[in-house]
Amino acid sequence: MKLSLGEKTFQAFNYTILTVFSITMILPLLQMLAVSFSSPVAADSKQVYLWPIGFTLATWEQIFSNEVLWRSFGITMFVTVVGTLLSLFFTCVTAFPLSRKEFRLRRPIMFVIVLSMIFNAPMIPYFLTVRELGLMNSIWALIIPGLISTFNMIIVRTFFMNIPKELDDAARIDGCHDFRLLFQIYLPLSKPVLATIGLFYAVGYWNTFKSAVLFLQDPNLWPLQMRLRSYFTNPEEIAAVDLLIGTQAFNMTTLKAATIIFATVPILLVYPYLQKYFVKGAVLGSLKE
Amino acid sequence: MNQHTVVASKKPESLWDNMKRHWMLYIMILPGVAFFIIFKFIPLMGSVIAFQDFQIFKGLWESPWVGIDNFIYLFQYQDFYEVLRNTAIIASYGLIFSFPAPIILALLFNEVRLLAFKRTFQSLFYLPHFLSWVIVGGLVFELLAMDGIVNAIRGLFGQEAILYMQEEQWFRPIVVLSGIWKEVGWGTIIYLAAITGVNPALYEAAVIDGANRFQQVIFITLPLLFPTILVLFLLNIGNFLELGFDQIFNLLTPMTYSVGDIIETYVYRAGVLQGQYSLTTAIGIFQSVIGFALLWIFNRMARKSEQGLW
Repeated sequence: MKLSLGEKTFQAFNYTILTVFSITMILPLLQMLAVSFSSPVAADSKQVYLWPIGFTLATWEQIFSNEVLWRSFGITMFVTVVGTLLSLFFTCVTAFPLSRKEFRLRRPIMFVIVLSMIFNAPMIPYFLTVRELGLMNSIWALIIPGLISTFNMIIVRTFFMNIPKELDDAARIDGCHDFRLLFQIYLPLSKPVLATIGLFYAVGYWNTFKSAVLFLQDPNLWPLQMRLRSYFTNPEEIAAVDLLIGTQAFNMTTLKAATIIFATVPILLVYPYLQKYFVKGAVLGSLKE
Repeated sequence: MNQHTVVASKKPESLWDNMKRHWMLYIMILPGVAFFIIFKFIPLMGSVIAFQDFQIFKGLWESPWVGIDNFIYLFQYQDFYEVLRNTAIIASYGLIFSFPAPIILALLFNEVRLLAFKRTFQSLFYLPHFLSWVIVGGLVFELLAMDGIVNAIRGLFGQEAILYMQEEQWFRPIVVLSGIWKEVGWGTIIYLAAITGVNPALYEAAVIDGANRFQQVIFITLPLLFPTILVLFLLNIGNFLELGFDQIFNLLTPMTYSVGDIIETYVYRAGVLQGQYSLTTAIGIFQSVIGFALLWIFNRMARKSEQGLW
């Protein structure tokens, strides 16, 4: 196919613009990575762009020996793993009956659930409800109130509804009841969609912030994002360590950069594995009601 | 056995019979129903405290009813207008700048012919979606700090450094730009899928008629994308005043409250921290009502072209 001059110009422009913008998506993280391996002097004089200057592992040694940070890391890990598994289970168990034609309450329940998507409860009554349930200062406050995302539930339901009904009949003839039908036939067929919403849930739990702000006053329970936030707003929390040791091997700037990387890398590690699924899953959920 | 069920299904089955026959489905739905009741409907019903002088020790049943006093107070309250104005302005910026961004990006993506490039671009554009607002906020503060990279670049041109995050005039542009940076790639997913669904024959026909690429975009891609755009627009408008708490909370400093304090950050401070439960719930209700009204109006307009949400 021959391209006209105008089209060639456009293509050149398009590639350039997309390249520039896509690089800016990753640049800040790469810079933080470089800073975290740089000497404090270089970091503060802004010589560090993408390659560490005055290479040192001191900052990372400090991060890895920071027990408070590890504690938060453990809480976030727990919330992410347990939360994602529980969410997947309850999402599927709720979506399955709602995908069955023979389930008589299907329409009224769906209607009410969609209604709850349009009318969000204000923050205060929501806060008071969670508090009344005794979830204040419990890490379950990060999991239970967000156990089922309506959006994800609808994605799974749509997926279930598109599974050929011939499979049901075959299973029924073999004497398969509803629980087995869900767990032994539907779920194994739903791996792509489970991977997708599993990723959505995992990212949500990993990045949980608002629930922690609302429900966790005890700093011992803070997940990673809350800990980070408190480091950013009260730098003396990390700086105190700096002064005590009195060393020049790391400082606020390099520690800040390293904590950003520390809290980002785990979730970024999962995403390439699941990428082939999530685009499909996201589209499925949004285009069909 | 099989024949029996066929006969039974001939006459209308009562709910009770349906429950007996499919009791497992009813058991399965129980936790989900309990979840929606506890975390969606009880809080929704709990909104009635906006019509009370709610006191935490008396609880919902004992607190005195005050009618619409809280709403009357609200409309005489200076803070409310400031917060409402900030929310509405930032939300409008979102509709004007952030909403079209993924559409434009999807159209640009679509012109990329080399598959390897396309994949790489997409992966990179999706990446920021996986970062939390705490981290993005941290990055933004670092980039825009006095000795940050943006000011370093300004320095190269002999410009003086600016403390961006503490300057009122910069707050809203920063909110919009950081929002686009974080979510634009993610937002393209649906549009790209819709573009992929366009019948290639339409383009072939257009080429025969002498349409160039630009004309193809204007006369084929965009019109076919329109229903998707409209649906997403309607879903957006319903949450018009509900900006992300995480984003604003992580970018806001006391210096920028006057331009950046939005309904949710205000409700958090005045409600959760200071215990003004009834007043801030009234604000929440106000927010929901505006959102629903906007959705209703725009849906009516959309229905004229027979493409509303309902």
